[in-house]
Amino acid sequence: MIKYIIDNNLIHEEYVKYYTNASFIVSPDFSFNDGLFSGFNQETGKYNKATWTTMKDEAGIPVRDYTLQDPQCVYQMLKKHYERYSLDVVSSVTGVSKEDLLTVYKAYGATGAPDKAGTECYALGWTHHTVGSQNIRCMSIIQLLLGNMGIAGGGINALRGEPNVQGSTDHAILYNILPGYLKMPTPSLQTLAEYNEKYTTKSSDPMSANWYQNYPKYSVSFLKAVFGETATPEDEFGYSWLPKMEDGKAYSIMHLFDVMLTGKVEGFVCWAANCAVSTPNSNKVRNALQKLKWMVNVNIFDNETASFWKGPGVNPANVDTECFLLPGCPTIEKQGSQANSGRLIQWAYQAANPPGDALSDGDIMMRIMDEIRALYAKEGGASPEPILNLKWDYRDAQGKFDAVKCARQIAGHYTKDVIIEDAVKGTKEVNLKGENVPGFPKLMADGSTSSGNWLCAGTFDQKGVNLMQRRGKDDPTGLGLYLNWAYAWPMNRRVIYNRASCDLNGKPYNPKRKLLEWVGDKWVGDVADGGWPPMANKEKGKYPFIMKADGVGSVFGPGMVEGPFSEHYEPMEGPLEKHPLSSRRTNPAVTIFKSEFDKFANADAKFPYVCTTYSATEHWCTGFTRWQPWLLEAMPEAYIEISEKLAGELGLKNGERVKVSSVRGSTTCVAMVTKRMTPFKVEGKTVHEVGMPFNYGWLWPEGTKDDATNLLTPSVGCPNTFCPEFKAFMVNITKA
Amino acid sequence: MKKGMIKATSGFERLVHWCLALSCLTLCFTGMAMMYHSMDFIGDMMGGMGNLKTVHNYTGVVFGVALIFAIGMWWKEAGLFSFPADWQWISCAGGYLWHVDKDKMPQVGKYNPGQKIFFLVVALYGIIMCISGYFMWFPEGYAKGLLQNMYLLHALGFVLIFPFFFIHLYLATIGVPGSAPAMFSGWVTRAWAKTNHPKWLKEIEK
Amino acid sequence: MKGLELVKLIDLSRCTACRGCQIACKQWNNLPASKTNNFGSYQNPPDLQWNTWTLIRFQEIEGQNNKVKWLFRKDGCMHCTDAACIKVCPTQALYHTEFGSVAVDYDRCIGCKACITACPFDVPRYDSVTNKIYKCDLCYSRLKANQPPACVQSCPTGALQIGAKDEMIAKAYKRAQELGDGATVYGDKYVDGTHVIYVLPQKAAVYEKLPDRPEVPAPILVWKDVLKPLGLIATGGVIGAAIVHYVTHGPKAPIEDNSNDQGGAV
Repeated sequence: MIKYIIDNNLIHEEYVKYYTNASFIVSPDFSFNDGLFSGFNQETGKYNKATWTTMKDEAGIPVRDYTLQDPQCVYQMLKKHYERYSLDVVSSVTGVSKEDLLTVYKAYGATGAPDKAGTECYALGWTHHTVGSQNIRCMSIIQLLLGNMGIAGGGINALRGEPNVQGSTDHAILYNILPGYLKMPTPSLQTLAEYNEKYTTKSSDPMSANWYQNYPKYSVSFLKAVFGETATPEDEFGYSWLPKMEDGKAYSIMHLFDVMLTGKVEGFVCWAANCAVSTPNSNKVRNALQKLKWMVNVNIFDNETASFWKGPGVNPANVDTECFLLPGCPTIEKQGSQANSGRLIQWAYQAANPPGDALSDGDIMMRIMDEIRALYAKEGGASPEPILNLKWDYRDAQGKFDAVKCARQIAGHYTKDVIIEDAVKGTKEVNLKGENVPGFPKLMADGSTSSGNWLCAGTFDQKGVNLMQRRGKDDPTGLGLYLNWAYAWPMNRRVIYNRASCDLNGKPYNPKRKLLEWVGDKWVGDVADGGWPPMANKEKGKYPFIMKADGVGSVFGPGMVEGPFSEHYEPMEGPLEKHPLSSRRTNPAVTIFKSEFDKFANADAKFPYVCTTYSATEHWCTGFTRWQPWLLEAMPEAYIEISEKLAGELGLKNGERVKVSSVRGSTTCVAMVTKRMTPFKVEGKTVHEVGMPFNYGWLWPEGTKDDATNLLTPSVGCPNTFCPEFKAFMVNITKA
Repeated sequence: MKKGMIKATSGFERLVHWCLALSCLTLCFTGMAMMYHSMDFIGDMMGGMGNLKTVHNYTGVVFGVALIFAIGMWWKEAGLFSFPADWQWISCAGGYLWHVDKDKMPQVGKYNPGQKIFFLVVALYGIIMCISGYFMWFPEGYAKGLLQNMYLLHALGFVLIFPFFFIHLYLATIGVPGSAPAMFSGWVTRAWAKTNHPKWLKEIEK
Repeated sequence: MKGLELVKLIDLSRCTACRGCQIACKQWNNLPASKTNNFGSYQNPPDLQWNTWTLIRFQEIEGQNNKVKWLFRKDGCMHCTDAACIKVCPTQALYHTEFGSVAVDYDRCIGCKACITACPFDVPRYDSVTNKIYKCDLCYSRLKANQPPACVQSCPTGALQIGAKDEMIAKAYKRAQELGDGATVYGDKYVDGTHVIYVLPQKAAVYEKLPDRPEVPAPILVWKDVLKPLGLIATGGVIGAAIVHYVTHGPKAPIEDNSNDQGGAV
């Protein structure tokens, strides 16, 4: 599609020139050859990204060729990179017909017109690959070329919502970030100053807002929120009390079980997860669990992880792991905030009390932590400060966890009276200690403010009103922004980088759908991404992509692990023996685990069918919904979708039971013979694809003979995120 | 043997008759209650329409069994016409509706053709009622078109049987005094027999 | 919604077969789940049941250029104006509500199954334990409280809507026109208009278990519109005739027996 857009000149030219780094000049040392970008170390399997840079002049300002003609400019490099992806090649590699490809290219390419919008909504179908991040990256390039970022109806939208993935990511459920996407400290960054220095981005370009120059304000405010009064400048606000992540090491769920398998992990708290079903290569996971001394599960139902010790093929007598199952409660049994794909944080109210002994996550956490703190207070220990200095007062009058108190702490407040006087303007702003900070621009790096997550600063207004509870239905823009409905981070902005929806003079590219417009001396519409005037104002104007150091969208994206341009690689297991275009069949930056369970069978006659996985609408992730009779009635058991052609070859009838196996494991399920699956041709070879849901396991429904689909999948994933490759692997199918 | 009296029916015949008669009557009334909402009170009297339906269904069984015996006993006497005499009787409506000279009236045997028609309607349509009723009672697994026609036949049965049933009731009671004892005691007066079934009287007095 | 004749509009072009409606229906109406098996389809339970009043039917067809189309249809009571079930119900357990929908009075239902036989859409289902039939009542309890039916409330895509009859029918035709390509409106022309109306992206005949031209079955019409009044006429007629006969002709008394008394030999 990138090639089609460039060849047919469908780009939004002004946007590409001024709002992206397409005009930047790439380092002459950068290269791409036979599937590899420059800087690859064959031994470590990692890239040295030193050459993935763009040129700057002596003042430190990026060199740009606004004609986009310089052969070293990003745009020309991009064109060259995607030259190889002709319609014939793409059709042959993907198995999608040329007509269908063209239909999509044409329809989507048409959104490059300045007054047209195109959006990309993606979910796990794109991310569950060893090239998952590159899939999204590729689309980001397309969106920038077509001028579809920062506009109404544009963007790249991860479909998030019900499992609160956005909310949990904002609040650092991933191992490599702190709340608000702040970076995890590492041993190489011994002091707060070193840490802040490393992650505070720099730009010499006066037109770049370079918002991350404010990084220390957010990191210090975070530390103040975590350690409260004990966080003082003398103690670096408690920076040294934060856990550190080893430099260069990853701690994803796949890494966790790889280490657990070696017996190096003593205890495991498995909170609201069912790893024995959800994590790839479940046999590896289930064996790793047996190496634990203890395990605590928190869930609303028993599951295959909590009961791994009595699972198929496991003799409880041989398992020494002490297991605890704490009854938790789902979202409707507690109040709190939930964030969706649009970063809209909405307050959700409690609808029912948890049954029996079940407690909310907050309450369980409070109780455990109280005990731990008491033990540390009594016995001391190797490093008691992080535990004892923790600010830990999130109880209500009844001694129960108080979600509102916690949310306020996340939002942020002044830790002392802050009075800002402006002699020139003659204004005086009085902020009293304890008042909520109305937004992250007010956060400070001196300890005068506290904020658990800088992005959430503003979710409570200064008077303490919870803006996440707002339910205003007025929408003067007519675009569905609903600015008075709940609160969207950052700063209640509904479309980030929204100044990119206007031309250099602040006039909307699409006058019929005005997201933002510069009227007189201010922006009107959505909450503008920074109040600076349009770029035509050379003195005060700023580039629209304010979170990027260069202020522009990254067509050239050196932040990625496996290259600044996306490149096609085959999955770790596939039907092809070699890459259609180069000698690197798979993503070169992928981490391969070395345990006995980590086996692959690429282009192997024993496992001839491509398998993909997905979720049934009726079930939640690993299927605790299996305990809900109505949902189980609607989707009662595991199945595999098979084309009529393949079923014919295998002599299978619809509804017959089959055994599905990969080189790693096997399970059984019902064969669903369907017209929806059709064989396709890849590189001249007929490929049969089959699909399985991952919502089932051995524990329930009663009497099931089936087990988890992830017994089949490999523990390998995207090297950027370690999101596992659930979507493509090879299996065999036989009658059960 | 009684003086001046003639034995018209056996005890078993009367038993079957009353089984048939009472079940038919019950079926008619319960059936009507289900067909005409204005007769819901019949259901109320039985403690609800559910009970009424149960009564209707099981009465149907009684009716069916009684019908089998009735047909077995009476098909020869009441199920076979003897032409042309019967035709002649029919063409003058048995003298019930207009005046017919005595000599033009054929001599009636044990059953006059009116009774025979009544018997045949009840016998034949009774079978149809039992069959269609069975399908209505246990419709599972049968084609809907078939079932719908069963409902149709059942309704038609009521339309046919009830008038005959009522005429029978009328003629057997106040319409032809002296008839009713045939089904109570079994004895009828000779005079009654001579008036209404002279040929039969002759036969038995031979 | 109060005081209006309502129509539920099912726009199948917007249905994603999430089955939220199917579950919401069970939740609101307190209908238990049955034990099911995957029989090689996403459809489950396999059919409407006494405890499944609405069901998404899944169907695969091959359209133009061998492109497979996966059709979804929300099945359930159509709430006919000329409702065969109401016609045949012996106890008036089935009745039209003030909204035009067809509801069931479970206190009156005697489980006779006549409605099952009569329904042109094959909707009512019998439960032997309670000896009653069950079907969608368009959430009468909710309509009375000015709430949309549970299925409509649960629909995330706008495939289900409810509103004033005329408005919904107009909407349906507008949508069908918008869709073009053989899309049709189904329901308003049959059985004097159903209170559930489909926008079908395909021709009606394509959909499994959807009658092409639904109507009250002819035998039911003959039964209810001919035989039922005829039965009354016949009954009344024969009783009246008997009275007239008695009055005009009088009883046919036995003529005094003056022949030889032979002693009643038998």
